[in-house]
Order: sequence, then C-alpha cells, then structure tokens
Amino acid sequence: MIARTVMVAIMLLLALALQTTVFVVLPTGWFRPDLMLLIAVAFALTDGQLPGVRIGFAAGLLTDMLVALTPAGIASLVYAGVGYAVGGIRPYLAATSASAPLIIAFGSGIVGTATYGTIALLLGDERLTATMLLQVVSAVAFYNVVLAVPVFALVRRLAARFPLTGGTADEPVF
Amino acid sequence: MYQRRRTRLVLIAVTIVALILVTLDVRAGDSGMVHRARGLATAVLQPVQDGIAVIARPVIETMAGASSFFAVRRENEQLRQQVEILAERRRTVTDLERENQELRRLLLMQDRGAYDVVAARAVIIAPSSFEWTITIDVGSDDGVERDMPVVNGDGLVGRVVQVTPRASRVLLAIDPSFFAAARTARTGQIGPIEGRGGDPMIFRPLDPSSDIATGDEIVTSSYQGGVFPGGIPIGLVADAGQMDARLVREITVRPFVDFTRLHHVLVVLSSPVEPIPPLVGTPGFDFRAPDVPRFHDDTLNDDPISPDEDEDGETAETTSGVSATGASAGGGATPTLMTSAASG
Repeated sequence: MIARTVMVAIMLLLALALQTTVFVVLPTGWFRPDLMLLIAVAFALTDGQLPGVRIGFAAGLLTDMLVALTPAGIASLVYAGVGYAVGGIRPYLAATSASAPLIIAFGSGIVGTATYGTIALLLGDERLTATMLLQVVSAVAFYNVVLAVPVFALVRRLAARFPLTGGTADEPVF
Repeated sequence: MYQRRRTRLVLIAVTIVALILVTLDVRAGDSGMVHRARGLATAVLQPVQDGIAVIARPVIETMAGASSFFAVRRENEQLRQQVEILAERRRTVTDLERENQELRRLLLMQDRGAYDVVAARAVIIAPSSFEWTITIDVGSDDGVERDMPVVNGDGLVGRVVQVTPRASRVLLAIDPSFFAAARTARTGQIGPIEGRGGDPMIFRPLDPSSDIATGDEIVTSSYQGGVFPGGIPIGLVADAGQMDARLVREITVRPFVDFTRLHHVLVVLSSPVEPIPPLVGTPGFDFRAPDVPRFHDDTLNDDPISPDEDEDGETAETTSGVSATGASAGGGATPTLMTSAASG
C-alpha cells in the first residue's frame, strides 16, 4: 500500500518535472503534451474509476500549484473528472485492444483541455480566445496520443508491480 | 455496489475541494492562501526541477541539434549574405553613433541605458499550455520585485508577476495578458503591444494611418510612466496591416526573443521609469522662445491682423518676454510644443 503510494507520488513528481523542464526544448513550440493528464488517464484505464479520480486529483493539484495566471483548483477538478469518466468507460473496452488506449488518450486530451480552458474562460481569464483554445486542445490531444504508448505501458507495468490489492487487506491510498 | 458508491463520494469530495480552491483563489487574488501555497510549491520544487533540467536539457538539445543539420546549411548561406550587408552598414552605424551622442548632448537627456540588473537562469516553464510563464532562479533576496522587466540579449522577455525569496515567476511577452507601451524605432509611432500566445504579437499604433512598414523594428516606450524602460527591442513588423472599420490598425509583430530557448535572462532592478522632467529649469538650458505674434484677449473678437498691431512695439515685447520659465503657463504655441517635447 505504502509502496504503491510512494510509486505514484514519485511518478507524478517526475512527470511534472518533465512537463516543466524538458518539453520546452522539444520542437513543439509552446504547446506541449499534458503528461499529468495522461498519467491520470493511464491509471484510470488500468485500475478503474477510484484510482482515476484520486490520481487525477493529485495530478491536477500539482499542476494548479505551478500555474500563476489561471485560478487554482481547475486542473484538480478537471483531471479528477476525466479520471472518473475514463475509469467508467474501462469495462466496455477490450483488454487487448491496441487502438482503444490511443483513442482514449486523444479523446481525454480534447475533453480535458477544452474543459480546463472553458472553465478558465468562464472564470474571467480574458487571455483565452476561441482560436487559442482550439490550438491548445488540438496540440495537447495530438501529443498525448504520441506519448500514450510509452506512458500506458509504463503505468501498466508499475500497476502490475504494485497492484491495488496487494498482500495487505486494506485498500491502497491510490 | 459499495465500490461504486465510494467512488462517487470521493468524486464529490474532490469536486468540493477543487471548487473551494477556485473560490479562494479568485476571491483572495495575490494576497490569499492559495497564492502563498503556490509560492511555496515553486520554492520547494524549483531545486528539483533545476537539477533535472541541468541533466536533461543538454541531451535533448543535442538530439534536436542533430535533427536540424539540413537547416543549418541553409542558414549558413543566409548568414554569409548578412555578413556582407552588415559590413556595409557598419560605416553607417558609426556615423549614427556620433550623431546620437551629439543629439543627446543637445537635448541634455539623461543616459538611461545604465540599469541595475541581476542575471538569472530560466528554470522551469508553466505546466499548462494555456499559460506563457517561466520561473527564474532569483527572487526577493536578490532584489527582485513584482512588475520588474525581464530581458535577454535579443530583447524583451517579459515582466515579473510573482516573487518568492529565491525564485520568481515571469510573465512572457507572448502571453495574451501581457501588455506594454511600445513605439516604432524608425518613426516613433507609439501604441500598445500585446501578446497572443503562440501567435505573433499585436501592435496597435495610436495613429492608425501612421507610416509603418513591414520590417520596422518595435521597441518599448516609457511614455505615461510605463513599467518598461524605453528602447528595449521587442520585434519586427511582420505584417503592417490596414486600418479596419473600427479605425483600429492591428500590426503583426514577430518577437526577437525565441521563447522556447530561454536559458539566461536579466531582471532590470531599476524602478519603473520616472517621467522625464521638463527641460525648462535644467541647469545650462538657455532656451529662448522665438518671437511669435500674440494678441491680447480683448482683441480676439476683432480683426486678428491689423497693420498697427503688427508694428506695435508692445506686442513684440510681450511675445519676446515668454521665457523658458513661463513655458509651463501655456503662454503660446512654442511653450506648448516644448512641454510636449519634454514629456515625450
């Protein structure tokens, strides 16, 4: 239980570090993949709704703490919601399907980013325009699909190494 | 069944927490608990991210450099052509420098190029694609304050929006909320410039019919006590645009700074530019207004030009009596001109 919690925390911190340091030097302009959202989606797809909500909330909270202009709490709300939705879709997907994770990564990138931008817009973030929203949503969805295969593979391996129901009877934190 | 109910309860709980966070942040603004928590998170995570950046960046930049081999060859040819052009321009620049020094002496302008700066490294960028900010490794311990300008060797980078003791967050000039006073370097047309995210910046000259062409340089302007010192390069006009039906002209500006390659920047520690004091009263300033015909108020309703008054010695004496000291009283066309020149 503790090992899994530590593993998830380390993974989120590393993902945040990658998101804020490495991706900027990639030839992708300012638009980058949303690795935090992708990890929440991967855990939701692997372990279900509850881990999806919890890890989505944690990933969103970390993101909220490192933005300066958008109100805090939006990413927490959206990522937890996306984790819940993807976890809800999971029982209807074939476990061996290769295309399903890619479609989920694309769809969650669109829905998550568009919801985040729309809520920010509704809360008075006047910087955002419809054109910009479209650009960011498209870019994030595309890059998330590119990263989906390695991220999902890594999460599946880690989830198998640190399963939800381990040697203890208690349920894990994540 | 129990699992599903528990999941819903957790979802409701995190939704409530998130909404509380949003509410606290929106209502309290920069002085609230959430703002302090963000500052703390920045301060705690900055060393970790700094270490990862130091390790990862050289590797990835080498990979990116290898992939751009073919572009380098073409760029080499372009640079050779530019060297030839610049060699010719050098002679012109020498002459312009001499002229610049001469004009500065004539106008008794203070040289405002010497600012206190502190060097910083760009450590991390915002995790959100909706936000164009970076975090730098200097803070209030180094004298950094909110709203201080940030520049690098290419030009304007942005301004400081959040300060912690050892780190600060910088709003980049391309962020849609960025706004600065600017002018064209060639003609001096002033107006606001603003960022538009991933797209080029937009400059709106106050005079939409002004002479601005593609390739003109846009620099910061310090008019109206703006936060930026004047003359910091911002970018080149990519599209001069046309005046639209709203009588607004939007000029597309491509910034000099490559915002995806920010490594080292300078924070300008000087306080926002003070309005330039009027030339009148400056020691050594011996301006004398030229003789301009002037009429008494009681003659305004009469025929304004009469041969008698033109030859009247009293009128001429009054006009020549408008000295530099009396310029601020708005005594005529010339003092007004001097006032505007001094404040520009």
